[in-house]
Amino acid sequence: MLDDPLVLARLQFALTAATHYMFVAFTLGLAPYILVTQFIAVLRRDAARMRAVRFWGGLYLVNYAMGILSGLVMELQLGLNWSGLNEMFGYVFGAPLAVETMAAFFVESTFLGLWIFGWDRMGRWAHWACFLVVTGTAYLSAYWVLVANGVLKWPDGFRIEGGEAVLEDPMALVANPSAVMAFWHVASTALLVGGAVVAAVSAYHLARRNDPDRMFHRGVRAGTVMLILGVMPTVITGGTQFSLFGKEPPTAGLTYTADEIEAIEKASDSSVATAFGAAGDMVMMSAWAMISLAAGLLALVWLLRGLSKWRWFLHPVVFLPLLPYAASIGGWVFRETNRQPWVVRGHLTTADAMTDLSPAMALASFSFFTVAFAVLGGATLWLLARFARRGPEGGPLAPAPAEEAEPAPVRTF
Amino acid sequence: MDTVPVLFLTGLVVGYFVLAGCDIGLGMLMPYLARTPTERRRLVSAAAPYFLGTEVWLVGAVGVVAGLFPELKSALFGGLWPVFSVLLAAWLLRDAGLWFRARIDTDSWRRACDALIVGGSWVLALSWGAVLAGLIAGGAAPSVFTVACTLAVAALFLLRGAAFGAERLVPAEAGEAASADDAGRLTRVLARVALGAAAVTAVAAVLPGAAAIERPLALAAAALVPAAALAATAGLSGPRLSRHTSAVAIGSAPLLAAAAQALPLDGPPAGVLALAGIAIVPLVPLMAVGQVGLYRMLRRPAADTGFFASPPAPALPPRRRAVPDPAIRG
Repeated sequence: MLDDPLVLARLQFALTAATHYMFVAFTLGLAPYILVTQFIAVLRRDAARMRAVRFWGGLYLVNYAMGILSGLVMELQLGLNWSGLNEMFGYVFGAPLAVETMAAFFVESTFLGLWIFGWDRMGRWAHWACFLVVTGTAYLSAYWVLVANGVLKWPDGFRIEGGEAVLEDPMALVANPSAVMAFWHVASTALLVGGAVVAAVSAYHLARRNDPDRMFHRGVRAGTVMLILGVMPTVITGGTQFSLFGKEPPTAGLTYTADEIEAIEKASDSSVATAFGAAGDMVMMSAWAMISLAAGLLALVWLLRGLSKWRWFLHPVVFLPLLPYAASIGGWVFRETNRQPWVVRGHLTTADAMTDLSPAMALASFSFFTVAFAVLGGATLWLLARFARRGPEGGPLAPAPAEEAEPAPVRTF
Repeated sequence: MDTVPVLFLTGLVVGYFVLAGCDIGLGMLMPYLARTPTERRRLVSAAAPYFLGTEVWLVGAVGVVAGLFPELKSALFGGLWPVFSVLLAAWLLRDAGLWFRARIDTDSWRRACDALIVGGSWVLALSWGAVLAGLIAGGAAPSVFTVACTLAVAALFLLRGAAFGAERLVPAEAGEAASADDAGRLTRVLARVALGAAAVTAVAAVLPGAAAIERPLALAAAALVPAAALAATAGLSGPRLSRHTSAVAIGSAPLLAAAAQALPLDGPPAGVLALAGIAIVPLVPLMAVGQVGLYRMLRRPAADTGFFASPPAPALPPRRRAVPDPAIRG
């Protein structure tokens, strides 16, 4: 298996994308919560809520780091390992990604820098507005990435000229049903991830009777609200996507005839991909069922006034984030294996899209980035858990304590 | 309207080299400029806020190349796959070092992160040198020219880092500014080194069979710009001028590749351009406000503490408190 560059390149991309999405989902889920908390804090000049913003913001930043690291590897890997996609769909697939990097990521990262370094230096509304821009561009970023992804699944808006896709209808590209439905699905599942994380971290501290500024008392309630808000939209936006199943995309037949497509699909052995897809589907569905049950239980315990007190209930809530993470990864595995053997359905097979790599090159690239991601992703998760447990004292954004005396600098030449 | 996307891309690439040259160069110089833990913390706190704002220029450039210049992307990544893979690896590890350094308060953790920052910065700068050498020579085959050009570009990064360090390494409170003084003195030395490396590169370029340069005259004319900037920095008033001359020198480096070879810079079809324009142009003011705001805020000397240079944090709280807090109600 390890001597087949195609298997390695696919596995490498799957691992990169899955790692990336874990951290992206956290970003998308936590951003609205921080935004609202900071808005209330600024509006009421509430120092206690602002300390909560520092705490959650610290977790946001530790997580964001890994989101960027995996995101830039993913962007470059598309170019390096999947040049066939670039050659045939350069403009159609690349244009949304160009917009994503410029109009979304560029602005997002810059304003996040302003938000970090503008603390206590900017007006409070200007500082909040920085995070408003960060949140807005994070979602804009998700939208444009899904526009690029949507083309793969539901190719539309272009014609084929000389074996190359030429953009014909930009509106069909940006309003691609596969992209738009996936965007709302991602947005609602992000609420589940964010809600579960906020509720779990709050529950951890409440179970230990550690509730400075009552931030975790509010946190577990906000997390519950986010879960309740996210549960139904998730299943609705997910379910509507099945309406595209079994239908021919509008550009079917432009590259290959129906017979050729059938022959390619028959000739390819997609049994492994299908098995992965079925497993992903099952994980996603069962995790969703458990999340809705958990959301209901949280609401019930809230009504019974036990949400900040009942330790036996709070302890298992700490493990709640495992569910939406499992569902998210399962959902992506399902979506991406579903169109195999195609990378662009009916136009370009995954095998043809790959750069012509020697087995040694593919193995070197795969080994390095897999090990690096395992180490960096593991370190980030460990740091997140550590700062979440530590609470608002000493987090990454905690205000600097009074300067302590430092040893006199000794310069060694 | 082919010129607009080309200018846009040029701006992104030049902007990346000018701005990221600061934090990459400073990372390379870390072992020399920062020898005590305090100095190292100050150096990271000087460089780290920049990388967040500077690497987006490269991400943007990669996106624009992918979306608006797919042929250029094939030309770049096809011929230089190994170099770009190493560059990506170095970028990843360097960023990881910068992000993670302040998160754990132990010496061994900081040493490991410093190693990633220094090693990553060096490999990143050398990879950029190899990329530019490969583009100018029309192929990445190792030769005297490739090696000399790679080292010359690395020297430009070092010079940019030293010029940046001379300003940013001044402590916020009055006192000894040894790192900043060292960096200031280093600019003149580095400018001479870079000038020497550039001269060797020029000689290597005219050696028979060394490099297949399509437009040698255009390249020679374009090379006069960084050469003049380096010569100005190498003189007695070099350190004073270095902030601007180092920017000119490193900013013109990627343009030499465009001068030497006819890169596939045909603009995108009208539909793609319209889509990108409509989606990007409304956000350009926001990009400008954000970037200008960020660099204005970071213009003053680096603070000793902050997100990327946290002071020691208190230990973890006890896992369980014995006495329930009466303030918590249901």
